[in-house]
Amino acid sequence: MPAKEYEILALTMRYWFVLLILYIFVRSLVSTVRYLSNVKATAEESTGNIPFVLVLFALTAFVLLSLNGKLDVLTLLMGILVCSTFLFQYLLLCYLFGGIDRYLLLMVDTLCIVGFIMLQRLQPALAFRQVEWFGLGSIFLLLTILYVKFFKHWDKLNYPLMIIGLGVLILTLAIGKEIGGAKNWIQIWKYNVQPSEFVKIILVFVLSADLKTNKNRLRRLPVLLFTASVILLVVLQKDLGAAFLYFCLFVFLYYIATSDWLIAAGASFLASLGAFISYHLFGHVRTRIAAWRNPWADVENKGYQIAQSLIAIASGGWVGLGLGLGSPYVIPASKTDFIFAAICEEMGILTGVSIIGLYLLIMVRGAVIALRAKKPGDTLLAMGATISLAIQSFTIIGGVVKLIPLTGVTMPFVSYGGSSMLVSFGLLGIMQGIAIKNNQKKQDKDAQQHGEEDERYDEQEED
Amino acid sequence: MSKRKIKRNTIGVLLVLTALYLSLIAYFCYAVLFYGSRWFADSYNTRVKMDETNPRIIPGSIMDRNGVVLAETKDELVKNPTTGKDEKYYFRVYHNEAASVAHVVGVNHSKYGRMGVEAFYIYYLMGYNNSLIEKIYQKAFLPQERGNDVVLTVDFRLQDYVSGLMRKQGKKGSVVLINPKTGEILTMVSHPTFNPNDMERVDDDSLVNRATQGLYPPGSIFKLITAASALENIEDIRQRKFNCTGAVEFDGERIQCYKGEAHGELDLTQALVVSCNTTFASLGIEIEWKDLLKTGKRFGFNDDFLFSDIKVKPSSLPIGYRTSKQEMAWTAIGQGKVLVTPLHMAMIAATIANDGIMMEPKLLYKVVGRNGDIQKQLEPDVYRKVLDKENAEALKNMMVKVVLEGTGKQAQSNKITIAGKTGTAEEGSKDESNKNIAWFVGFAPVDNPTLAIAVLLEDVGQGETGGTQAAPLARKVLEKAVELGY
Repeated sequence: MPAKEYEILALTMRYWFVLLILYIFVRSLVSTVRYLSNVKATAEESTGNIPFVLVLFALTAFVLLSLNGKLDVLTLLMGILVCSTFLFQYLLLCYLFGGIDRYLLLMVDTLCIVGFIMLQRLQPALAFRQVEWFGLGSIFLLLTILYVKFFKHWDKLNYPLMIIGLGVLILTLAIGKEIGGAKNWIQIWKYNVQPSEFVKIILVFVLSADLKTNKNRLRRLPVLLFTASVILLVVLQKDLGAAFLYFCLFVFLYYIATSDWLIAAGASFLASLGAFISYHLFGHVRTRIAAWRNPWADVENKGYQIAQSLIAIASGGWVGLGLGLGSPYVIPASKTDFIFAAICEEMGILTGVSIIGLYLLIMVRGAVIALRAKKPGDTLLAMGATISLAIQSFTIIGGVVKLIPLTGVTMPFVSYGGSSMLVSFGLLGIMQGIAIKNNQKKQDKDAQQHGEEDERYDEQEED
Repeated sequence: MSKRKIKRNTIGVLLVLTALYLSLIAYFCYAVLFYGSRWFADSYNTRVKMDETNPRIIPGSIMDRNGVVLAETKDELVKNPTTGKDEKYYFRVYHNEAASVAHVVGVNHSKYGRMGVEAFYIYYLMGYNNSLIEKIYQKAFLPQERGNDVVLTVDFRLQDYVSGLMRKQGKKGSVVLINPKTGEILTMVSHPTFNPNDMERVDDDSLVNRATQGLYPPGSIFKLITAASALENIEDIRQRKFNCTGAVEFDGERIQCYKGEAHGELDLTQALVVSCNTTFASLGIEIEWKDLLKTGKRFGFNDDFLFSDIKVKPSSLPIGYRTSKQEMAWTAIGQGKVLVTPLHMAMIAATIANDGIMMEPKLLYKVVGRNGDIQKQLEPDVYRKVLDKENAEALKNMMVKVVLEGTGKQAQSNKITIAGKTGTAEEGSKDESNKNIAWFVGFAPVDNPTLAIAVLLEDVGQGETGGTQAAPLARKVLEKAVELGY
């Protein structure tokens, strides 16, 4: 399609995309509020036409993108691939696990699909890889669900897990590759893997396994030491985002499990002290802070990333410039860390707000799953996954919009990246696994109640 | 650990995280609403960069309030050296005398980037404010999309006249003339200036728009704010008598009146008329820092100045509970760490002229679309209510007397009645007294002010003051403005 016609089409279509995203967000919001207020509501509630709307959203976006320039059949095929992968994953998981939290799954898939569309627009080859990661991630999700649901003795694996975690981080420090200023990558076969992502899951399991039992502080020492050393290791890799994430995970989980203000406050004090020291010790920390306080003071160097991100967001306006009509290439790391700015530029601030809202809803649902869990260990596990996802998305979006200093973490489910995709789906798997456990118990209980009533009825008859 | 406690804590953490997210959403919307247009207009926004060979949108023209074209886009056929074919080449052309409005209009150049109106109004100039239908129409039926024309509130005749005066004077500085009732900027000159048609030979100093980006110590013109604060916070101030002995000491710090002259017994009005340092310094100590800061903040100090039409550096009044007595005394006479821009000073004069109501400065007169349709028109906005009418009236009368019988005598005109206040500030450290700054702020005509002015001259020599340097210049500018019908 010639440029002008495409521009007109994209200009008009942007309202359509914003509308669909808002619709999905509002529906999810309503259902989550209902889910919150009604204890009896199972996760099995109907999702209505949301899967259909989501497919419509993906298809129209890919059709639009395929019309840019010459008709691009590959993009069209990509759209079909995305839709069928999504439908297959969604339907299969719903079929396998009756108690799965469908809205949670749909919200995550919405985020993934927005990511696919943006990647297709930025670099089609990456979009294809991302769909692969989505598939692998879904398998990982399935495995985690099964693990959480059936493997009762996961707390026994604490020490091996801790050793693995420390091992990979030390290995990264020793033979790691430096990409984008942080030495937190290792190359396995032909893939660059980010071990600090996987340590996140390990940390969730280790912490909740340890914290679910009543112990005095001394007996927790191994876990405390483990947490401190992983934080130190990622700081040494200059991966401040991961350090912040681990730290929040620890403080929140520790507080939930023990109500121990002392340790939480002490840890916060130590962290601020550490932040203060590292501010004065490391140049890269000072650069980050300076760029956050006033990116415009040194737009050409330090502030460049954030300034370009803000400029892109402002250029988009409420509904965006239209898919394919902006220049998100100008934003550095527009496929990974700064994908939120690229989305805002072309799909609008309303889409951006909806995305933040979706993360918020994911967090709320995760917390509700945790609250409805029967065992303290399950509560902690689900909460660990929830906190991890919530803090990570808050950190990166907050950094991109200049609310907090920028730290290089990925945007879960949206940013391009295999490690991030797998781990995010792993965390989702934890949440879903516990949701399924909750619902299963509820069903058992319901069945039991029915049985008892029947018996009573029988007794009455006998009388 | 009981299950119940775990659940309670979980809810607590959930609430904390929810608050984090809600604040993220709130901040995001706030930032986009208030700063979005500034981010968009930034010179580093390559989306609206001037494309010389194949522009998607041709930027519109910039005109003064009478329709004089100050900047427009022209095209020319130029032989491409590599292909040998004639190619259309687009560039911005500025008025022949554009040097006199250079800082207002700015430039839009593929190599030197954007500044001034060319940067700040790029949203309109590139037609980003067009409706969807207009955008589609242009894409479908026009060979090339067109941006909108921007009409400014400045008057080119006046601008040119003032620029000429500044050139004759030969000193670096700035003159800002605004309408106190509407906030319209009629003239905004910064000297030295540059020629936007010839950007090859420009030195960095001349690129600075001193009117909005230059921060200077206000010197004695800050006494207006001290006086306003005194009127508000000291009950018997109108009857109070001060005794000036020519110098006063605070904790070992000596503050002198100009040339050590002793003014004798005087009241507040007389103190302002002769610009008595000792009186105002002791007032600065009497008024608590809180009250002075409050008045200063209402006048716009320490404010981000998120005006819709113009980017102005924030003026600073850095006083707080840790400020020493000496510092307060210096601040009260405008000498401490206080810094202002000439535009802000003109706004302050305008506020006093306009019964204490500060209008938002406006530079955009209207935006005219492709068919001559007016898309946006100047609407005066009250920035804030600074003083009540009574105090504004009192300050006004004091400023009248300054010109009639005080330091501002040289601003007297036989054509109009002018009121004002002079100032001479020391730049940098107090020892380097040979580099002074001359100020005059004022308004005219006195009984119904339609003009407010701020004149600033840098690097005036020893013995030269705001009264001898800036006041006559202000008089000439005001006379010319009245002659032109403002």
